[in-house]
Parts: sequence; structure tokens; C-alpha cells
Amino acid sequence: MGYGRRNNKRKRRRGLGGGGRRLSELPENEPAVVGFLAMRGPLRKRLLALGVRPGAVVRVVRRAPLGDPMEIAVGDTLIAIRHAEADEVILEEPR
Amino acid sequence: MSGAAQTRKTAGPLEGAQIVTVGNPNTGKTTLINALAGADLKVGNWPGTTVDRLEAELRLPDGRAHLVDLPGTYSLSPSTPEEALAARELLLNPPDLVVNVVDAGNLERNLHLTLELTELGLPLLVVLNLMDEAAAKGYRLEPAALEEALGVPVAATSASRGRGVEELRRRLGEARVPAPQVRYPGQVEEAAQQLAATIEHPARRWLALALLAGEEPPLALPAEVRQEAARLRRELEKAGIDPYLEIENARYARAHELARRVIVGAEARLTLTDKIDRWVLHPLLGGPIFLLGMLLAFRFTFLFSSPWVEFIGTVQEVLAGWIAALPLPPLAASFLADGLVGGVGTVISFAPVLFFLYLALAFLETSGFLARAAFIADRLMLLAGLPGRAFIPLILGFGCNVPAIYATRILTSPLDRLRVGLAVPFMSCSARLVVFTLFAAVFFPEHAAWVVFGLYLLGMVIGLLTAWVIGRAAGAGPSSGLMELPPYRLPGLRVVLKQAWARTRSFLEGAGGPILLAVLFVWLLLNLPPGDLASSYYARAAGLLEPLFRPLGVGDWRLLGALLPGLIAKEVVVGTLAVSYLGAGSGAPLGLAQGLGQIATGLLGALAGTLSAVPALLGLPQLAPPSAAAPTALQQALRTALTPAAALAYMAYTLLYTPCVATLTAIRQEFGRRWALIAVVYELAVAWLVAWGVYRLALLWLGG
Repeated sequence: MGYGRRNNKRKRRRGLGGGGRRLSELPENEPAVVGFLAMRGPLRKRLLALGVRPGAVVRVVRRAPLGDPMEIAVGDTLIAIRHAEADEVILEEPR
Repeated sequence: MSGAAQTRKTAGPLEGAQIVTVGNPNTGKTTLINALAGADLKVGNWPGTTVDRLEAELRLPDGRAHLVDLPGTYSLSPSTPEEALAARELLLNPPDLVVNVVDAGNLERNLHLTLELTELGLPLLVVLNLMDEAAAKGYRLEPAALEEALGVPVAATSASRGRGVEELRRRLGEARVPAPQVRYPGQVEEAAQQLAATIEHPARRWLALALLAGEEPPLALPAEVRQEAARLRRELEKAGIDPYLEIENARYARAHELARRVIVGAEARLTLTDKIDRWVLHPLLGGPIFLLGMLLAFRFTFLFSSPWVEFIGTVQEVLAGWIAALPLPPLAASFLADGLVGGVGTVISFAPVLFFLYLALAFLETSGFLARAAFIADRLMLLAGLPGRAFIPLILGFGCNVPAIYATRILTSPLDRLRVGLAVPFMSCSARLVVFTLFAAVFFPEHAAWVVFGLYLLGMVIGLLTAWVIGRAAGAGPSSGLMELPPYRLPGLRVVLKQAWARTRSFLEGAGGPILLAVLFVWLLLNLPPGDLASSYYARAAGLLEPLFRPLGVGDWRLLGALLPGLIAKEVVVGTLAVSYLGAGSGAPLGLAQGLGQIATGLLGALAGTLSAVPALLGLPQLAPPSAAAPTALQQALRTALTPAAALAYMAYTLLYTPCVATLTAIRQEFGRRWALIAVVYELAVAWLVAWGVYRLALLWLGG
């Protein structure tokens, strides 16, 4: 079971987004800036609608008791997002 | 109001106007409408859907107007069926006035939708709601700045406290069509204006931009317009411009700028939501708190509804007693008492359970707790390829499958709704427990609790497998776990009550007929031709099933026959078994006064039971399932009719076979007739196969 994870691994191997740090790897309570969204389709649309867009400041609030998903804060919005999904949100390199 | 005052009053500019409220989810829109409309608020469904629809007649200083609330949406480019409904309504039935409800504590994101609304060419008024919450977050806002920038009236409210609502009512008449708010980058702006000029619709600017962005507006547009849009889009892309991204960015930049003008002071403060989440989403305590919350919701439903279900039973008995006292031939009396009164009683006895379950669900949803529950359960649900929210309908299914089917609406994708909808009937509802407790007590007195627990587990596994297989078959990618975690809020009691009642009523209207028909049909089978039960159509139908069930070790026609009325509600299986093994006891005749006395006592008992449910809610849960008051004679009869292995197979079959009529009606209302049929066939097949497997395994284990 759990075909979500397998899809995710495949994408990782393809190396979507090059070398940038991913939202899924961001430690808790360390603000970062969204660089770009490396996915298409409804997920991208929904992320944009919730305010997760290039240039927005994002912070990981906590991870769920079972490790996945994680809670992020963007502006005044709290959002639950799976690691597989946060994997495709590429962060800007800190200057 | 006196007649003179009415004639003196002149029709204002809003007389007869159609007003809609639009806003992001969780902006306190429902509370605001409740404050505006008061007792005039009506809750129903959107035509052809089961989405809640709130509407009201408003008596305003500027005349009487009709208000309709559109489902909450983040954007006019929809990504859920509810959002699509909001966009369609705005474009296909343009209202006279759009009231945009904005969360004052989440300005930037909310203003993104506001900016889209300014492009619809309709009179607009913006409400900055939840001002109190914004203040508690540490924001100081200047609503006048937004009014100046947008050029439309802006009202500031805290609807849950009734603040600012009067001012809003007064200012509705001032709404204006706003001037363009967003300057798009040169080439995009040019293309949008060029395209808009070819569109005949008040929302031409929004439509032009949507077409350029590659959206599909829910509107019949002339082919020339679409061709022109495609051409302009190609041109932009050739110039290296992604119109979708540019449009989004321009809107966000403007929303950001507006928010900065309106927010005159901000200091970071720990909100109530932050404080509660520290506990509710705690790495160690989160899980237990979540389970406790679910348990509480369940206990609430059943403690409050069971006194009323009992009362309905009392009324039914009294009516049957009165019928028995009438000078009627036995067949006619049985038809009235068992068929008609029994059928109507079955329908009505759903009402208290559903009402309180819907109440619990509405509370969980509007309080923000449901989103947290989904957050915690998400990882588990991912095992079946489902989003965390799927947990809610599945767990509700243990109470009653009917509200669980409706609760699939909290999922965003239609495919996920269907997957969970087909999995829900495998969740063992409380009606099935009655059957299990009887059989487990007869055949496995030492291990009854384990057998019942195993059956629950079996149902859950089959349900999750079903959802997983459909997901794979549909070739769907992993479901999305993305959702907003809204701030905690206390829901308004009046609206929640009205919503719960509207959903209960919609069920009774839809399912009342089918349930009644099913009860009458079973009555006919049992009673025709008149005479002995063993020679009835019922016995003959059961006899036809016999070869099919021989591989499961079940051969007695009485056991097979009882599965037929189980279609009405699965607990009926036990009652029918008692009748067919022991014979029917005819109801004792009852006098009028005697009956009324019993009804009055029953009503008092129900009221007392509801009141005593309040302390019981906090007491320790009763872990032992309520014993089905099974006559020992029935237990003995069963012991000779079945082997323990066959009893296990029979229980597994009862757990899994066709959903009851009420659940089927719910599936039909949510997913259509075709899927209701598929559910019946699929579940009959699965039930037989699993029961056969259980029988073979049990034979190996227990011996013949």
C-alpha cells in the first residue's frame, strides 16, 4: 500500500528543481522564502490560492505526531501539507 | 409594524435586489449572515446537490432584498465542486450586489479573492469581519484606507458579537461597481483589454483574464472569443510570458500593497489557536486527545439520541396496541401495525440519531477541530491512498452509515468522495452490533468481545482495501493532504442547529419513501399467502437462497430469510429470527387513555434521559456493548441450527452484505443511481467471498 510514496521517490530521482533546498527539509521555526513550485495541476493551484507562492515567507510550525504531514505558516494562514507535496516546493537559497 | 407605517415606507434602491455573500472559507460568513438575517435564515440545499445553501429575506433600510450565501472559496478558478458552484453562480446568475466577506486577521490572502471580485463588473461591498480576532492577533486596522483604495464601501464587523452589523445593513445600498484595481504587466494588460472588448458579459475583464490564464470559465462563450483567447495566449507564451503566473503575481502584489495600507499596526502575539494547538497537536498527547475527542462526539450522539429513539418505539407500541383493540381481521391489523406503523416508525427513528450526529459533525467542522483530526490521522489514511479527512466519514460510519456518506463532502476531490463513499458501508454500524452480540453470546460466550472486535476490524480492512483498489483502478495519483488549519472558533448555536435539522429533513424526504416501501415489501413476503410462516413467500424466497449459501455452512431457511429484512436495517435480522423460530406474539390491545398515559410517560422519560445525558457524557464510557435482550429460547434454537464456524461466516456476511436502504438512498443522493447499484452488487459479492473464506478458515481452526 501507499502508492503516494513511490511516486514521490520517482520524482526525486528525476531531480526536479535542481539543487535548491526543499520545504520538506526545512527545520521547524526557521523562516525561509519560497523560490518556486515544481509541480503542475490542481496542487499548484491550491497552494497558490492558500498563499504559498514564490516570494512568500514560509515557516514550519510542527510535524504531525506520526511524522507526516507537517504544519506550515504562510502569512496569517496555517496549512497542513504532506512531505511528498512539500518536496516540490523549492526554497530560495538564503543570501 | 402598523399598516400606515408600511404604506409610508417607499421602496428603496435595494427593493427586490438579489444579494450574494462571497468569501474565503472560515471567514465567519455564516455567523455574519445569521446576524444579518436573524430568525429569517433558511438552510437548504443547492438544487441538484447536497451542498448547504443559506438564504434569507432581508428587511433593510433601503428595501427588502433576497440574500444567498455562496460556498466558501479561495478563488474564482475553482478546485473543488463547492468552489465551482460559487464561480458558476456569480457568472451565470449575476446578482445585483456582491458582499465580499473578508477575514480581517488574514487580509492579504483574502484580498486576492476581493480583487477577482472587482473584475466582475458588479456592485461590490467589502466586509472586514472578525475584527475582534484581528485585534487579538495584534493587528490595528484602518478600514477607511481600504474604502479609499478600492472605491467601494467597506464595513468593519465582529459578527459573533453583533458589532458593526447595523452599520453594514445601512451601507448595503451604497455598493458600487469598482474601477479596475490590478495593473497587469503591459502585454498581458493589452491582451486582456483586447479580448475583453469581444466579450458580451458584465464580467468581461475577469473572463478575459481567466481565458488568458488557460482556465475554463463555466460559461458558454462564442467560438470566436475562445479562438481569439487561444491566439493571444500563444502570442504571450511566444514572448516568454506565462500569463497564469503573471496574472497571479500582479494580483498578489496588489493584495500585498492593499494589506499594507490597511494594517496600521502589528505586534506578534500568541493567539488562542497557537495555545490550543500546542496541546491538540502535541507529539505525544496529540493522538490520545484526538481519540478522546472522537469518543466524546460519539457518546454525545448516542446518549442524546437514544432516549428519543426509545420514545418513538413507545409511540409505535401504543399505536399497535390501539390497532389491536380495533375490530379488524388479523391480517389487516397486522398490516396496519407491523407494515404501516412499523415502517413510518423506522423512518422517524432515524431522525434523532442523524440530528445529533449532524450536530456533532457541524460542531467539529466549524470549531476547527475536524481539520486537526484530519492532520493527525493523515499518515494512517495515506496507507489507503486517502487524505486525512477521509478518517471522519469512516469513523462516523461506526455510528451510522447514513451521515457518514454525507460526511464524504468534507473531502475535496470527487474521486476521493466516491472511494470513501463505497468504503463506508463496510464500517460496522451500531445496528450490526445487535446481531453480533446475539451470535457471539450463543457461539463464543468466552470470547464474545474478541469476536465482535475482530468483525469491526475486518470491516475496516475491507473498507480501506476497497478505497485503495478503486484509487488504483482509477489511476489516480496520491490524494492531496493539503488543507487550511483554520483558527479555533465557537460555532453559533442557532446556525448549527438549523443546519443539522436541514440535513436530517433532507434525509427523511429522500429516504422516507424507499424505507417505507422496503418495510411494506418485507411485510408482504412474511404474511402472504396467509397462514403458516413456513409456507409464506418469505420462506420460499429463503429456500431459493439455500444452494447459494450451502458453501458457507448456512442452510436453515429461517437464517437466510432474516437477511432479507436486514435490508431495511441490519438489527431487524434479530427480530425476524425471533419471529421465525419462536412465532410472532400478537400485540396486546390497548385502551385510548392507557395508550396516552404510556406516551406521556415515554415523553417524560425521553426528556429526563436527554438531561441525564449531560453528566453521563463526562462519565466513564461503558465498554461492554449493550446486550440485545435475546430470549434464551432463540439462543437455543440458533445453537442447533448452526456450527460455530458457520456462525462466524453468518456474522461476517451480515457485516458486509448490501448496505441498508437508508444508506443506499444516501449513496444515490450523493453519487447517483448507478453507483448505488454498483455498491449493492459489489458488496453482495464481497460479503459472500469473505464469508466463505472465514468459514473455510474457521473449519480448519475450530474443526467442523
